[in-house]
Amino acid sequence: MALSIGIVGAGTMGAGIAHVAALHKCSVALYDINEEVIRRGIERINFEMKKSVDKSKISEEEMKQAMGRIKKRTNINDLDTCDIIIEAVLEDLRVKKDLFKKLDQIAHHTTILATNTSSLSITSIASATKKPERVVGMHFFNPVHLMKLVEIVKGARTSDETVKRAMEVAHTIGKKTVLAKDTPGFIVNRIARPFYGEALRLLSEGVASFQDIDRIVKGSGGFKMGPFELMDLIGNDVNFAVTESVYEQMYHDPRFQPSPIQKQMVEAGLLGKKTKKGFYNYEEL
Amino acid sequence: MTAKVKSKKSTIESKKKPAETSKAKQSQSHQTHAEMKKHLACLLGDEQLVKEYSTVFQSAGIAVLELKNLASLKTSAKKITIAFELTLANSTEKQKNLQALDESLAIDIPIVTNAVTATVLSQAQHVTHKERLIGISAFPTLLENNVVEIAPSLYTSQASADAVKGFFTSMKKEIAIIEDAVGMVMPRILCQIINEALFAVQSDVANPKDIDTAMKLGTNYPHGPIEWGEKIGFKNIVAVLDALYNNHKEERYRVAPLLRQMAIAGRFWL
Repeated sequence: MALSIGIVGAGTMGAGIAHVAALHKCSVALYDINEEVIRRGIERINFEMKKSVDKSKISEEEMKQAMGRIKKRTNINDLDTCDIIIEAVLEDLRVKKDLFKKLDQIAHHTTILATNTSSLSITSIASATKKPERVVGMHFFNPVHLMKLVEIVKGARTSDETVKRAMEVAHTIGKKTVLAKDTPGFIVNRIARPFYGEALRLLSEGVASFQDIDRIVKGSGGFKMGPFELMDLIGNDVNFAVTESVYEQMYHDPRFQPSPIQKQMVEAGLLGKKTKKGFYNYEEL
Repeated sequence: MTAKVKSKKSTIESKKKPAETSKAKQSQSHQTHAEMKKHLACLLGDEQLVKEYSTVFQSAGIAVLELKNLASLKTSAKKITIAFELTLANSTEKQKNLQALDESLAIDIPIVTNAVTATVLSQAQHVTHKERLIGISAFPTLLENNVVEIAPSLYTSQASADAVKGFFTSMKKEIAIIEDAVGMVMPRILCQIINEALFAVQSDVANPKDIDTAMKLGTNYPHGPIEWGEKIGFKNIVAVLDALYNNHKEERYRVAPLLRQMAIAGRFWL
């Protein structure tokens, strides 16, 4: 029988997860409190899948079948029989805890409850449930249909069985998994901090211009993108929020200290590509 | 323009108008042709770096003299057109090498020195002809790519900077001129990433293999930080971080205890 996946939150990440799950023959229940958000989420999946058809990555028939596997849900109780429910709502601990309390009540006792959080504690989210051993982190990367990785995050009380099943689900929908302990930033968002942090320090110390730092990181280090280009792409607000979150959770370890330059970029509204201005100017594009 | 800080020296190239750049490129390619035949690059210092530089230079058609001992410098000094002192961290050996090069080579021959763990300015104190000394971010695995970081000191002459630029242009590499600062750009960022990866292994966040996989697939790094660290040599990473720590006097640059152990052991042990 096909794996049934419930997804809570039909924004960028939720829609992305629905997209790959449906393509890998899972039956998907896409839930959002707002019907309009679901409609836009499905529109986005449709748009991305069409691009894959145009590039001959999938056939028109495959797309049609995949789209047919995604069911719109506006009543959360309809997710009760899913094998796994993956939460992808906004990064707010209070909101997520309330949601997990509710999911714990409505979901079948064998259902895995996963969160796609990138910066909050799995252990803390799980504490809102009566069965924290079935709560696990599944951190997908944006854009979900292109990024191969899922970080499986084991909370302090997550069971080995839950970890194993979350990994199986990720593999079923075509992802590679790594296992991380529930610590600030998990693996990627922690180890990538100095990529931005040291680049910002170099800029603030006047060692090189941001353009030259990007040129060196790509041309000498072999990275695909420079730190300033990547900050502009991710959004300086998003990047700054992650940095601050890791810094707070690490009790102000100076390795993670946020940069005043980035803070000012956020305050000035120079968020990057999405506002057409960040470190670079994107207006002509 | 939203940059807060502009490098004082910035890139010479980026300041030029397009027309000038293409003209400059043309005249350079002329120069290049002539220079390629006559260059003899002398390499000494860190064994691993001498080997990497030698391979890259030779594959670009540049004649290389790997100097095993300073005694042989006297006999070949006249033929050398550019010298590279590649010692990463041993300051006594570096000082001896720089003094020997400065005494033996004609005064117009540039001496390019590894400036990753010590500023060019501090190294210039060991030589008489300070204007010919210029820094390079010589660090394992970096020269295989096409941009080379170059740092002039306050003493470095334009002629030395131009000569070094001409040399790398002749082998189809670009240079980026940066300020004379410990760690330079790429080694500093890279060593801090690898340090963080070792902190994460040490506190059992994930196993080393998963960390490498995560950074390659989750954020497109060209190598995983731990496999990269092994290629570079953990002792070299510790040398850069210790230099940054001593220079900044900041906890930010403290070495992960596990990284220091790997540096002594010489390889990854887990």
